[in-house]
This record gives sequence, C-alpha cells and structure tokens, in this order.
Amino acid sequence: MNSISIFLYEWKHFIRSPFKILAILFFVLAGIYGLHNGANLYQKQKTEITKIKQKVIEQQEKILAYYNKGEKSPKDRPWIDLTNPFWAIWSLTTYHFKTPSPAIVYSMGQAEQYGFYKSISINSSPYDADMAEEISNPERLQTGTLDFSFVVIFLLPLLLLILLYNIKVGEAEKGFLPLIYVQTGEKNKWLLARVAFYGVLLFMISFALLLYGAMLTRVFESQSKTFFQIGFWILLYLLFWILINYLILLKSKTIVANILQMVGVWLIFAFIIPASVHQWVSIEKPTNLMIDMIDVWRNSQEKILSQPDSVIDQQLYALIPEIQHAEISKDTTRKVMARMYSMNALAQELLKASITAITKENQAKNDLIGSSFWFNPVSFFQNKFNTLSQTHYQDYENYRQGIQTLIDKRIKIMVVDVWKDTKVDKNRYLEYNQIFKK
Amino acid sequence: MWQIIKNEWRFLSRTKLLLAISLSFVFVLMISLFLGDYQSKKQTETYNVAKNDLRQQWEAIKEMNPHGAAHYGTYAFKPTTLLSSLDEGVNRITGNVLRVEGHVQNEIVYSEASQMQAVSKFGKLRSSLLLQYIVPILLIFLAFSAISSEKQSGRLKLLVLQGAKPSQLILAKTLSVWLFGVGLLALVLGSYSLLNIQNIDSNVFARAFLFFLSYSLYYFIIIGLTVFFSTYWQNTTVALTSILGLWILWTLFLPNILMSSVEKWHPLPSRNEFNTAMKEDRSEGLDGHNPSDKRKKEFQKEVLKKYEVDSISQLPINFDGLVMQADEEYGNKVWDKHFGNLRQVLAQQKQSFQLGGILNPFISLQNTSMGLMASDNLHHQEFLLQVENYRRVFIKTLNDKQTFGGSKTGDWEWKADNDFFKSVPDFDYKPTSLTSVLPNYLLDFFLLFFWTTVVGICLIFGTKKMQII
Repeated sequence: MNSISIFLYEWKHFIRSPFKILAILFFVLAGIYGLHNGANLYQKQKTEITKIKQKVIEQQEKILAYYNKGEKSPKDRPWIDLTNPFWAIWSLTTYHFKTPSPAIVYSMGQAEQYGFYKSISINSSPYDADMAEEISNPERLQTGTLDFSFVVIFLLPLLLLILLYNIKVGEAEKGFLPLIYVQTGEKNKWLLARVAFYGVLLFMISFALLLYGAMLTRVFESQSKTFFQIGFWILLYLLFWILINYLILLKSKTIVANILQMVGVWLIFAFIIPASVHQWVSIEKPTNLMIDMIDVWRNSQEKILSQPDSVIDQQLYALIPEIQHAEISKDTTRKVMARMYSMNALAQELLKASITAITKENQAKNDLIGSSFWFNPVSFFQNKFNTLSQTHYQDYENYRQGIQTLIDKRIKIMVVDVWKDTKVDKNRYLEYNQIFKK
Repeated sequence: MWQIIKNEWRFLSRTKLLLAISLSFVFVLMISLFLGDYQSKKQTETYNVAKNDLRQQWEAIKEMNPHGAAHYGTYAFKPTTLLSSLDEGVNRITGNVLRVEGHVQNEIVYSEASQMQAVSKFGKLRSSLLLQYIVPILLIFLAFSAISSEKQSGRLKLLVLQGAKPSQLILAKTLSVWLFGVGLLALVLGSYSLLNIQNIDSNVFARAFLFFLSYSLYYFIIIGLTVFFSTYWQNTTVALTSILGLWILWTLFLPNILMSSVEKWHPLPSRNEFNTAMKEDRSEGLDGHNPSDKRKKEFQKEVLKKYEVDSISQLPINFDGLVMQADEEYGNKVWDKHFGNLRQVLAQQKQSFQLGGILNPFISLQNTSMGLMASDNLHHQEFLLQVENYRRVFIKTLNDKQTFGGSKTGDWEWKADNDFFKSVPDFDYKPTSLTSVLPNYLLDFFLLFFWTTVVGICLIFGTKKMQII
C-alpha cells in the first residue's frame, strides 16, 4: 500500500466517524459566525464614518453661511472673527479616520480597543479623551469577540486533536496494528500519510472559509494580496500543530494518554505561555498613567508664557521660519495678538516631546512581547493576523501619527496666515478644508 | 464512604504521574499568585505616585481664577485593588485615567490593552485563569481515570460484590476528586491571606469566602459530570471526548457567543450618537424646547429678583459664577439622563448574560469570580460614578468661590489664593462594600446551586443502572 493509497483510504475512515464530521461541522459554523462578526464590525465602522462625514459637511455649511452673508461671527459669540485665520481654522471641523480594511473580516484584533475617528483642532493630541474606544460593554471586550482568527488560533488545534487522537493507538488497542505494518511497510510513512490527509482537509476547509469571508467584505477588490498572505500564515500555523501532534502520535501508547498530551500541549501554548508573557510584561512595564503628558498638557501654556516675549518669538521663528520676515513681525502692537494665537504651536511641540516618550515606552513593551515569540507562537500568529487585517497596535500607532501630522499642518498654516495677516474669505476657508482633509 | 475517599487519596498519592502533575499545578498556581500579587502592588505604587504628583501640583497653585482652575482640572486614577490580584476581570480593558474638569464629563482612557500589542486572549497569569480554565481540565482527567481505571481493572465489580453500593462508590469517587480541587482552592486563598494579612478585613474575607464557594460548586459540577459520563458510557474514549467537548463549549464558545448576542439584543449607542444627543440636550434643553440662552435669561431674572436689584452690575456677587454653576447643574441632569440610560442597557446586558448560566455554569462562575474580586463592570461603573460625584463637588466648590469669593461679574482676572486650593478636597475612592453589590450575584449563585443539584441527582439516580464490568 503506497502513501497515496493510505492518504485516500483515510477518507473512508473519516466519513465513517460521525463524531469527527460533527466536529468539522461545528468548526465551519464557528468560522462562519466569526467571519460575520468581522463583517459586521467592518460595516458598523463604515456606516459610522459616513454619518460623521455628513455631520462635518453640515457643520461646514453653517460656517460657510456666515461668509456668504458677510458676517464675521455667530451672534451669540461676538468675540469670534471668521476673517481671522485663527478663528477660521478654530471653527473648521475636520476628522481623521482609521478606515477599516476589508480584511478585518478575518481578524478584529485590537480594533475594539481604540477609537477610529478623531476630530482635529489646533488643541488636539493623538492621546485626547475622544480617542477612547466605541461605547461597549467592558465584559464583552474582556471575553472577546469570536472572530475568524479566534477560530483558527484556538479551535483549529482542538479540531486537529479530535481528528487525530485515535490514529495509530486506535488500531493498537484493537490489536491489528502489526497487520497494518505488514501491509504498509514503513510505519512512520503510514502515520504521516494519515495525518497529512487531515492537514489537507483542514487547510481546504479554512481556505473555503477564507473565500466566504472575502465575499462578505469584497476583500479581492483591494486586499487580494492580504487574502493569500492570511492563507499562507494559516497553512504555517496548521503545519506547526500537525508537527506537534505527529510527534505525540509517534510516541503514543493509549488513546487517553494521547488526549492528555495533546490537550496539555494546547493548554500550554494557548493559555499558560501567553498569560505568563503578559504577566511578565506588566511587571516589567506597568501601565502608563501618562503623568508626564498630563503635566505638559496642563502646564505648557504657563511655562511658555513665563518666558520673555523675545524668547517666545525666537522659539516661534525657529519652529516656523516663514514668519520671521512676515509683515506682523515688524509691528509690535499687532505682534502681541499674533504671538498669543501662535502659542498652540509651541505648546504642541512640548506635548509632542512627551508623546515621544510614551511611544518609546509602548515600543519597549512591544519589543518585550516580540522577544517572546520564539517560544510563544500563539501570540506571534495572533499578531500576524492582526497586522494583515490592519488591526494591530502598530496600525493604531500609525493612525495616531497621521493625526499628529494633521494637527501640525493645521497649526503651521494657521500661524503662517496669522503672521502674514491673511484675511480669510469663503475661498480661503474652502482651501483650508481641502488642505486639512489630506 | 469515607473509607473509599481515603483509598482514592492513597491511590492518587501513589501514582507518580498524577502526583507529578498535581505538584506542577500547585507550583504554577503559587507562581501565579505571587506574580499577581507583586504586579498589583507595583501598579499600586505607580498609582500612588501619580495621585500624589497631581495633588502636589494642585496644592502648589499659588493663585488662580477659580474658573481657570476648573479648566486646569484634576485627574482621577483607577486604583488597583489587592483582590484583583486573584481575578483581574475587566481592568486590563477599561481605561485608568479620567480627567475631571468643568463643563464636561470626560471618558476614562489609557487602558493597559491599548498600550501594547495583543498578548494573551485570556488575560494574565492570574489565579483566576488557572482556576477557571486549567484546574477543571486536571479535575476532568483525575475524575475520568478514577472511574475508567476501576472499570478496566474489574475492581469495581469486586467492590460491589463486597457490598458497596454503586451510587455510594460513584459519590465517594466524585467527592475525593472534588476535595482535591477544593484543596487547591484553599491553598490559593490561604497563601493569598498570608501575603496580604494586614489588609484583610471583613469585606475582603466575605468576598474570598464566596469566591471559594462559587469555585467549589463549579468544581463539583465539572467533576460530577465527568464521573457521570464515565459511568454512563461504556466507551471510555467517548466519555472523555464528550466531557472535553462540553468544556470547550462552556469555556470557549458560549461565553463569547452569548456576550456578543446580548450586545445585539440590548444595543448601546455609538459614541458619536451618544455625544450628539448629550450636546443637543444641553443646548436645546432636556425637553427640546428650552434652549440654553432662554434658560440663561430666565435665570438672570430670578437672580435679580432674589437680590432685589435691576442689573447684574448691582449684584453683590459674581453672576458669572452663578451662571456657570447653573449650567453645570443642568449638564449634570443631562449626564444623569444619558448615562442612566447607558447603565440601564449595561444592566440589561448583564442580566441576560447571567441567564446564560442556565445553559452554562461557567458563565455564573466567571460572573461571581470577577464580581467578588471587585473587578467586573459593576465595580467599574461604581468607580465612574464616584468620580462624577467628586467632579460635581469639585466644580461647585470652584464656582462658589468665583461667585461668593469677593469678585464682581465680568472680573475674570480675580484670583483665589493658595489656601483655597489646598482646602479643595482630593478624590478619594471608597471601595464598594460587598453588601451593596451582592444582590447582583444572587442569580449566579442560584444557578451554580441549581447545577450542583442537577449533577448530584444525575450521580445518585443516573448511575443506578450502570454496568459494572
């Protein structure tokens, strides 16, 4: 009996085991459920983004109405002057979005731990309170949502266990293992061919589920490469578990011992190692309560204002050289207001310095976690799936950097226009809108 | 029966593999306990440093306009309790820092989970992780081998022939494994008490006792079912895979699926919808027909009448302070309405989830475990409420100073002195007493008792006709 015959013969074994078929059906159902959860999140975030974009248009139309009527400010806020760049930009609402990737259908990752829309103003920061996650039940977040990556990472090894636990020892307990060895020749090859059958079967099922998921969020329209990458990592993950279980089967003596060892290894990789790493990281790097940033937030204005005006001016010129020779810089009276409006630029620089420290600290935590991946494969694969579905910590860090870039751009344009004494009209306001959207 | 239990224990202690596995479990449990305790204490140190730093900054204000101080604000940090070293609950998911300031109720931010990439889906290596997920697996294998080995060796038949009743045998075997589980629990809680002996009061003691009770009941359920399956099914493999399948269903599938479902049955608003509604109510009035400018005019009339003057400038107090406080109070009503609704939805979700305990006692165990260790959503909401109550006192103190401290309306340059700022109370978190939250967990306890009874009945009556060969 050659390997191909053994491989094909295993199909007969499989279809005569209702328990195994039931387990596979259960896995498929869980996979479909997980994919729908991912697709729902994708749809929910897209809908929310559309609603916010609509709200922004309505708010901007209100401001445009003032320009159309030639009014400088709303009646109840006479101190506002919409022809002044500071107030024009202050009143211009724009948002930065973390648009969900269609591949979120495969892994919701850390998407529910962060906000995905952020209003940008000259006072904003990527760590504002409105960066909080969507309103949700913390107990649900703690339990986690059953998504496709959960099904692959935690249930696929269990399904493999159910499919493989009685291979070889089942025959041994019935007493016809020697007969099989006589028929097949090499015993390891026989075992490998049988295990390979289930490996191929599970990969085909996972691939079919991947395709189903792709249809839910139209993954192929923009993320076809990601689709195949996820398929590749699932294959690697499956091979990892096949290898472990194959080694257990090779040395197996009884069915119960098999189950005990397989469950034991699964518990160690899925629970004990990731939990131990998590505990270790929390001890090494406790949760940051952001004290340094809070200090800067509250005291930066006072700190800047405590300096002589000439020092503030020099700091502003160094930060934005374009204003040094602007018309207002020669006019001491008008310069006072321009300096006041520009204070946010200097405050933002102090804030950025404190944010850099936070980013470094978080990076150190991530490096610590990353250094565990060689013995912590479950976390490695989880983060791999999160990266591919753009729901990894780093994707949200990039989103934060995008927010910071927009804040910087907004402040710079505001300061330059203030110092150049630009009068904002409807056209300039619309220009601002276009610039800040990018 | 006691003799059978003693024999079982003797057998367990003589089986080297079981002894080695058991000792490994004890070792890992102790490690998790020490690490959990150490981490909680370290986080508490960070909390104290942050809290003291912020307070020192506040007390260092030499002079400032009270309304300026309301914008300067302060921060409340979520404390780590020693109980959470046993079960961390939702603490790694929820934020830790809440800004307290005038005009606005902020959201709690900077959760631990948001500061790093994903590590463990089931949380840190805390005692609860081992006691909820891993120890039951050990107990399943012990209980399974207790019956199957007797069946396979033919000793069961011998014992029955000697006069032992099958149901008595089954019950004794169940109890012997259960006592092992209870022993592990006692070891964890005993060591926890020794580590924190100075902080144990009646509240902590009562919580720990109920924690012990809920786990003991769950262990009886899981062991009883394993024994029942082992005796009921002739095929030992089917028996073992059935109970493992049930474990997977109970611990991995159902909590996940049910929690996602209850959020669909009782939906929460999106943050954008929620904030828009709050903003609208604040500017247009709770009834939608009482805009803020109209409210302000009416309020002005009332104040002028009360002080018997014709204009604001004649008032002996600072009208701005009064307006701000009135606006705060209106904002508080809006907050109470919207957050009240939110809490109601969360309570409905919790209740529906708790009812899941009818199908799955693991849900009841999880609820009681994190509830009793003061780390569930209920305790988190309680913390938020305490901060909001503090915010109201904090802002009112500042607004009153602005109003009655000696300044005149429109005088934004007026400043309060350092003594005043030192006199403003700091936020002091009061741990929630068990008696105030216990009614929320009665359903979980009831369901655990219900399951225990059902399993007990199955063991007594369902194994009467078992085949002893």
